[in-house]
Amino acid sequence: MNIMTTVKSPAQPKIKSLAVEGLSKSYGQIHVLSNLNLRVEPGEVISIVGPSGAGKTTLLRCLSGLLPPSSGGVKVGDEPVREPVAEIGLVFQDYRGSMMPWMRAEENVAFPLQGKGVSKSVRLARARECLEAVGLPGVGDRYPWQMSGGMQQRVAIARAIAYDAQILLMDEPFGSLDAQTRFDLEDLVLSIRRRLAVSIVVVTHDIDEAVYLADRVVVLSGHPATVIDTVDIDLGMDRDQIKTKADPRFAAYRGRILEQIRRPKPE
Amino acid sequence: MRYVLVDFLVELARSIWLPVCLLLLWLVVSNGSTSIYFPPLADIGATLVRELFVGDLGRNLLLSLYNLAVGLVIAIVLGVAFGLIIGRAEKFRRVVSPTLNFLRAVPPAAIVPIIIIALGVGAAPKIFVIALGCFWPILLNTIDGVRGTSPALLETARAYRIPSHLFVFRVSLPAALPQIMAGIRVALAVGLVLMVISEFFGADAGIGFYITDASTRFAIQETWAGTLLVGVMGYVLSSLFLQIERRLLYWYFQDGNNASQRQSNRRRIKAGGGQ
Repeated sequence: MNIMTTVKSPAQPKIKSLAVEGLSKSYGQIHVLSNLNLRVEPGEVISIVGPSGAGKTTLLRCLSGLLPPSSGGVKVGDEPVREPVAEIGLVFQDYRGSMMPWMRAEENVAFPLQGKGVSKSVRLARARECLEAVGLPGVGDRYPWQMSGGMQQRVAIARAIAYDAQILLMDEPFGSLDAQTRFDLEDLVLSIRRRLAVSIVVVTHDIDEAVYLADRVVVLSGHPATVIDTVDIDLGMDRDQIKTKADPRFAAYRGRILEQIRRPKPE
Repeated sequence: MRYVLVDFLVELARSIWLPVCLLLLWLVVSNGSTSIYFPPLADIGATLVRELFVGDLGRNLLLSLYNLAVGLVIAIVLGVAFGLIIGRAEKFRRVVSPTLNFLRAVPPAAIVPIIIIALGVGAAPKIFVIALGCFWPILLNTIDGVRGTSPALLETARAYRIPSHLFVFRVSLPAALPQIMAGIRVALAVGLVLMVISEFFGADAGIGFYITDASTRFAIQETWAGTLLVGVMGYVLSSLFLQIERRLLYWYFQDGNNASQRQSNRRRIKAGGGQ
């Protein structure tokens, strides 16, 4: 997949960090997130895990600027995030719903660039390039509904890359895919991080996936959710679905996280 | 390609077998009829052809269709434009919605006389009536369509900072298009009725005028011919509209999620054929 190298943006901007500072979120009387602090360094991959209902998606929506926090805040570089920002590309869990069914794959990928004022030929060329980079050469003229779930999610990733996002936020991106497709897409994420200058934040309930993808796993738990643990994953850059997952260190990380999610510390 | 043709023929046969049978029945039953009011269908047909190509019927029909086309286009442009605006402005919608529903509930045919009195004879009042009647279903459907845009798409558009003009034309409009087309389909039927009725009063041309004029002259065959022609017109227009709709909403009908109804119909037919 040396094709990846062609996707680098022309003038590679310095990637910015993503910082969460004292972030809390309540819906009325229901407190979902409480005083979260988190920093995603440039180029880092972070997984956020937690039991379902822990507020992972709420956190991601706050990170992306789609949801205003109740207190505290999110910063990209030095700029506070109040609305969605150009540095962040989102990949939704609902890949089907996030594609415009009236647009072909390459139009879907190119559409956000149109909003940036990129000319048609340039944005379509870039869309094709990015589709190739996610392993979908020559399917740009298909409609989303002519593609499998895995392909649609690849298109969604291509869209985030084409958008020149420095930070990819992924919300349970592979949760509704079959195991084999999920493995392929996890490897795609790893290959993107190796070849592109991006930081990646993946929210998932799948602990194997969290450990496999990340440099650091942030464990959320409790009501309201707080960060109960941060686990540095020291498995190197080159990972393999079989070898890495058979590594004793992998099992140790996995066990440590699982234990905390199953039995949250008493408050 | 062959399957496309076969599909088309099957569909055509399925949609016209009943009208054809009824026409044949009418033809047979009315054959040799001596009733003044119910002349033989064959005679009506002959009159229709003669009036259409030799007499005045063709010209009158074209005049009426022109009114319908202009009125419908005005209604589509205004209905969709206001629908896109009102559909997005939730607070505004809640304020105007009761009024809109009241205005929609006024039968458009009931306002024909007053409009004719107010605007006089000529094409303008007829176009106005057609446009007004067609406006409501298109407006209300557009509003519903815009409001029904899936939250996931709205969120995607927000996350990728799609500017409003692009959002309106490339997200809201296509998302609402299935509903808009449904509104236009209703409007077409309403417009056809208004096209005829608006020519019943203070008109000196048009298919509606032709029918009333023929009936007051007691020209029963001409009256029948005009009436039949309106029916055929309605059928042709709605078939034409379906074709346009299918083109325009290609993505919608092909998408498994939306087409599940259609698909299951097709499957049922296949299963039936296999027995």
